[in-house]
Amino acid sequence: MKRRKFIKKAGIAVAGTSAFPYILPSGLLSAKTTAGYAEHVVFVLFAGGVRHQESVGKRYLADSQNAFAEDDLDVEGNIMYNMLDGEAPDRKIAYGTTIDGQTEGGQPIPRILGQTLQQQGTLFQEARSSTTSHFAGASALLSGNYQITQGLRDRPFNPTIFEYLRRHMGLAATDTWFIGNTIGSSVDLLNYSANTDYGWEYGANFLAPNTTFGESGEQFLAYAKDYHPDERSAIVEMRDFLNKSFITSGNPIPGIKNTEEERQDLKDFIDDIFARKNGQGAPLRMPPQSDIPDARTIGYACEVLQWFKPKFLSVNMSNVDACHGSFTNYIKALHRADHAIGHLWNVIQSTPGMADNTIMIVAPEHGRNLEPNILQDLNDWYAYDHSDENAQRSWCLMVGPEIEAGRVIGQEGNPIGNTAQCVLSIAEAFGIKQDVQGAGLLFSNQSLFDLM
Amino acid sequence: MNRWIIALFCFCLCCTSCVKDDYVYQVNNEVITPPNAVKTKLKTNEQYIAILYTNLFQKPMSVNNLIAASNVIQSIGDKEFAHDQIVGNFMNSPEVLLPSDEEMREDLVGFIELCYNRFYTRHPSALEMQHFLDYIEGNADVTPEMVYYSFATSDEYLYY
Repeated sequence: MKRRKFIKKAGIAVAGTSAFPYILPSGLLSAKTTAGYAEHVVFVLFAGGVRHQESVGKRYLADSQNAFAEDDLDVEGNIMYNMLDGEAPDRKIAYGTTIDGQTEGGQPIPRILGQTLQQQGTLFQEARSSTTSHFAGASALLSGNYQITQGLRDRPFNPTIFEYLRRHMGLAATDTWFIGNTIGSSVDLLNYSANTDYGWEYGANFLAPNTTFGESGEQFLAYAKDYHPDERSAIVEMRDFLNKSFITSGNPIPGIKNTEEERQDLKDFIDDIFARKNGQGAPLRMPPQSDIPDARTIGYACEVLQWFKPKFLSVNMSNVDACHGSFTNYIKALHRADHAIGHLWNVIQSTPGMADNTIMIVAPEHGRNLEPNILQDLNDWYAYDHSDENAQRSWCLMVGPEIEAGRVIGQEGNPIGNTAQCVLSIAEAFGIKQDVQGAGLLFSNQSLFDLM
Repeated sequence: MNRWIIALFCFCLCCTSCVKDDYVYQVNNEVITPPNAVKTKLKTNEQYIAILYTNLFQKPMSVNNLIAASNVIQSIGDKEFAHDQIVGNFMNSPEVLLPSDEEMREDLVGFIELCYNRFYTRHPSALEMQHFLDYIEGNADVTPEMVYYSFATSDEYLYY
């Protein structure tokens, strides 16, 4: 009898939970069920099209210029020595800084990490990207799916990792950030998708800091009036009345929204950056060598990390795309991006609450062609576009808690991993893998952790 | 011949038939604007900035500044926050044309009408008018700048 009663009660309980799932205060349908690996994840979109040969291939000029040159350019070497193991090239150095009177770019930027990220983490050295287009690639890195019919001026069709995290973990807007290198190329559309089940309500805060804190920002943002809290509260009260009147006939305003407290925090952050930029207070945490926009973008990302300590931050780069017209500028950008990522890792490890508790993932959105185009730069080196099979050769580096140190996965002829799998890997790192799989909108239901 | 006579007769009838007088209702002519917001189109960043600048400064913004300001809005994900910051930036300018506090309180009805006309291109409803009358009369610290600020950063102002 007791057994029957128990079964009856258990049945009612199960049916009840299925029919009326517990709704958390954040609006979640259920709490996450598995433990994550880290409290924070930083995802670097090493975008712009990184040719496999000069990056993880460490072939420098050997596989790009030697075949077309009269001089001996069979020079191999690693120009990303903060991220990857391997000796730097010993000659024909053009990727560094320039000392007056010496060769242009002839001074390599000093190494800033004592131990490479490869030694500290796992490198998928022969992964694939299933696209050779910048926006589709970046969109896939953030949404975990390739949207072949995706328009260039449209938001991603499928939810981004920001939306998955905010919806399934109940994160606040300032817990997720997308730091863009530009407001062009639809980069500002990547902080949330057009998916109606997710969308702007779960979007990430976005900044394109080179614009926000650039000349235009200085003119239109830097000197916003500070109102007394009582004045501010009266403004908010009047505005609330106006907004409530409009609700009856208007539409909801699409777009990421912060709470009043978060907005005040955001304003304080922006004021702080402008003040420090203008010499008041500590200098900004820019990489030591920040002579390209990508490096400064990373520097501002470091500021966001330090101020907000978000659960998840993604930062986008693209200066390596100079390779369409100048191979020299491409290797310079590659070298500086490595330097900036080393700096970013240093900042993470020196930020209380994030040190030893943050996973960093770095992946390009795609590679570049095997054969060059017809353009030559000042060194007579040929430029490379991105459209062939070689441009689908990619890689991914992961470092942080629960990630095996010094492991290298995959090799030429045996590719392992697809860069679109980063989304599920991030979800797994936060313990919401099943929720994200359950949405059924991914390119693959395997994360990179499954391939380790 | 008879046909011509009949036609002439009909023509004369038309010319001399009575003409209905225009009705005069003896009410004032009014410009009709929607009593409530019937606005469905979201302004672009450029439209928002251009209209905002004209509303606050009573002159058009230069094209270079318009592009720069709309780029700044685009560079920030939370657009409402971006608008807030830009309005706050404009309010720091001595060139913003604002009525004085005395002017506002001398003719509160006129001021509220002005705000709705300027920012929303419509008249306030009776409820809206009464709400603002009560609010401003009941709060001695409310300034025209604060009222302008709340209109310029409100949801309805983002639509047309």
